[in-house]
Amino acid sequence: MGGSTQDGAERIHIYRTGGLAVPLLEFRGITKDYRLGKTVVRALRGLDLVVEEGEVIAIMGPSGSGKSTLMHIVGALDTPTGGTAFLDGQDLQQLKEHQLVALRGKKVGFVFQTFNLVQTLSAQRNVELPMIFQGIRKGERARRARELLIKVGLGDRVKHKPNELSGGERQRVAMARALANDPEIILADEPTGNLDTESGTPVLAMLKKLSVNDGKTVIIVTHDPDAAAIADRIVRLRDGCVVAVSSYGVEGESGVPSTGCDVDGSINEPSTLGTTTEGDDSHA
Amino acid sequence: MLKDFLVLAGQSIMHRRMRSWLTVIGVFIGITAVVALISIGLGLERTITDQIASVFGVDTFIIMNEGAFGPQAHGPGGSEEYALDLATLRAVEGVKVAAAVRERTAFLQGPPRSDGTPLQGFFPVSGLSPELITEFESFTGELKVQKGGRLFDVGEEAVTVLGSEIANRFQASVGNTVFVAGEGAAELSLTVVGILIPAEEDEGSRGVFAGGMNQSQNQDTIYVPYETMDLLWGPAKDVLITVVRVNPGEDVDEVADRAEEILNARGSEISAVTYTDISEVIGTMTSTISAFLAGIAGISLLVGGVGVMNTMFTSVLERTKEIGVMKAVGAKNGHVLTIFLIESGLMGLVGGIVGTLLGLGLSAAASSIIGRLFGVEMAVVASPTLILTTLVCSFGIGAIAGLWPAWRAAQLPVVDALRYE
Repeated sequence: MGGSTQDGAERIHIYRTGGLAVPLLEFRGITKDYRLGKTVVRALRGLDLVVEEGEVIAIMGPSGSGKSTLMHIVGALDTPTGGTAFLDGQDLQQLKEHQLVALRGKKVGFVFQTFNLVQTLSAQRNVELPMIFQGIRKGERARRARELLIKVGLGDRVKHKPNELSGGERQRVAMARALANDPEIILADEPTGNLDTESGTPVLAMLKKLSVNDGKTVIIVTHDPDAAAIADRIVRLRDGCVVAVSSYGVEGESGVPSTGCDVDGSINEPSTLGTTTEGDDSHA
Repeated sequence: MLKDFLVLAGQSIMHRRMRSWLTVIGVFIGITAVVALISIGLGLERTITDQIASVFGVDTFIIMNEGAFGPQAHGPGGSEEYALDLATLRAVEGVKVAAAVRERTAFLQGPPRSDGTPLQGFFPVSGLSPELITEFESFTGELKVQKGGRLFDVGEEAVTVLGSEIANRFQASVGNTVFVAGEGAAELSLTVVGILIPAEEDEGSRGVFAGGMNQSQNQDTIYVPYETMDLLWGPAKDVLITVVRVNPGEDVDEVADRAEEILNARGSEISAVTYTDISEVIGTMTSTISAFLAGIAGISLLVGGVGVMNTMFTSVLERTKEIGVMKAVGAKNGHVLTIFLIESGLMGLVGGIVGTLLGLGLSAAASSIIGRLFGVEMAVVASPTLILTTLVCSFGIGAIAGLWPAWRAAQLPVVDALRYE
């Protein structure tokens, strides 16, 4: 991983707006340590990442590379141990718990690999759930939930419970739910991980459309080359650092590590992180 | 929002129908026992107070020796004599009628017997206000005189009604004269106006407050008008009981207090006892007993609460991921806490509703059995206060039992909860 340059961080992102606007997401030197018994697991080791509004970003990397941790921090589910993390101009580390809750309630929509729908609720009620916590009135909620279900092509499935839906349909319900509070960022954690190609394709197409048509920022954590194919940029992680940023099909900037990324690995070598032999996800 | 949480909680309960029902059963057994026992206790209290009310009415109070009534009563209730100024009592504002009984033993001499000599000796003499007979029959029971005789009227003096036994011993009949020696030089010749029907012919007519009337000896006693006692002995400390009726519309407790104050200020040592006072004492007794029984039944309620807690803990565990999802889509810790609290509270409440219905049914059944066994009409009481309190408490028990599990659920770190499998 040589070739480190002084201005590596700047080279990772391209300011589409000419660098004038504040980026939607700006991570500098993010570290995240977990304590597992007596060992400290360093999930992120000084990660830099800047994401602009409306981008589709694919985050790839082997298991244990810190993808999920990064995702959790972007989604305000977790706070970094060190570094600075700005989401829409707000310093995540300065926010109190209730502010983080508000942030993930309004600004972020999650799509999970295992769909994570509430089994006891109908499709419509699942989509309404995030709106309930925002205190949106019942009629408004129901109307919007139906609208979103129609948008994801499930207008005829509103009363169905999750176990009455196929995997692809469940994931589309989850997408409608992610859109419930009209968030700026959609975070998809392996959205096609549990789907076959046939049902995965419409899900990916929808994610892409959200960016193109609605100007949503979509961040996809994935192993799936098809998912990466819809991304404007692919961010590759390894051992808690960004090792490469590229466009799909282009070998990214010759594997530039971000400056300041602490890759000495003195505490935990990848093996400690539980890295399996999935190998590098680089492809094409 | 609360309504939405209610729906969410309800859906979750219905989803785990079997387990929820088993939990609810654990709650309602306890509630049933508590409600049934308290209801039976209330019914018993109602039955007793109803009987007292039928004697007292709402406008009547009695005057007893101070301390003879109430929790600190000493000696056999109502049997201690006291001094009373009946005229003062009658003058108390609000008093309509006052009637009293006084009793003492006096030297009597009957009419000449068949051998020409009269019987002499010490015998009990009861002074009754004639109003007692005319106005307060529920207290005295009906006094029946043998054919040819009568009871004395208001305003009469120097007349007597003889108990059948003493009449036999005196060999007296209506129209004869009985001589009574009073205090000092006071003495009177009393005309016999009536003789009571002997006890065995007079079954079932005894008054409820027979103790005050010394009913067991009544055939041994000569009865004279109350005022005649004054003539013989003056006001003395020999009054057994006084019954007072107040004017219509007067508050009986107020008049009783007033009478008590005025009489005690004049040197009597009495207490005025109203229906309310007696009800209170009986109420205290029966509610102490019911509270004790309900306390024992409450143990099963505690067990039910632990059952709710157990169910909720299981629920939190198996829904860890769901909790993570809820938090990921914007649920605050408070929201999660509320949903789980409502859920456990609802189970408590359903247990409370079922338990209350069963408890009331059980108490109705028990009342009818008790009633049949003892030959009384047992009142069945469905106290709205009890029902409401039970429902609120059952929700509370559920919620309190769910508090810890719900708190644990709310505190789950969202990342860990999402990873939970």
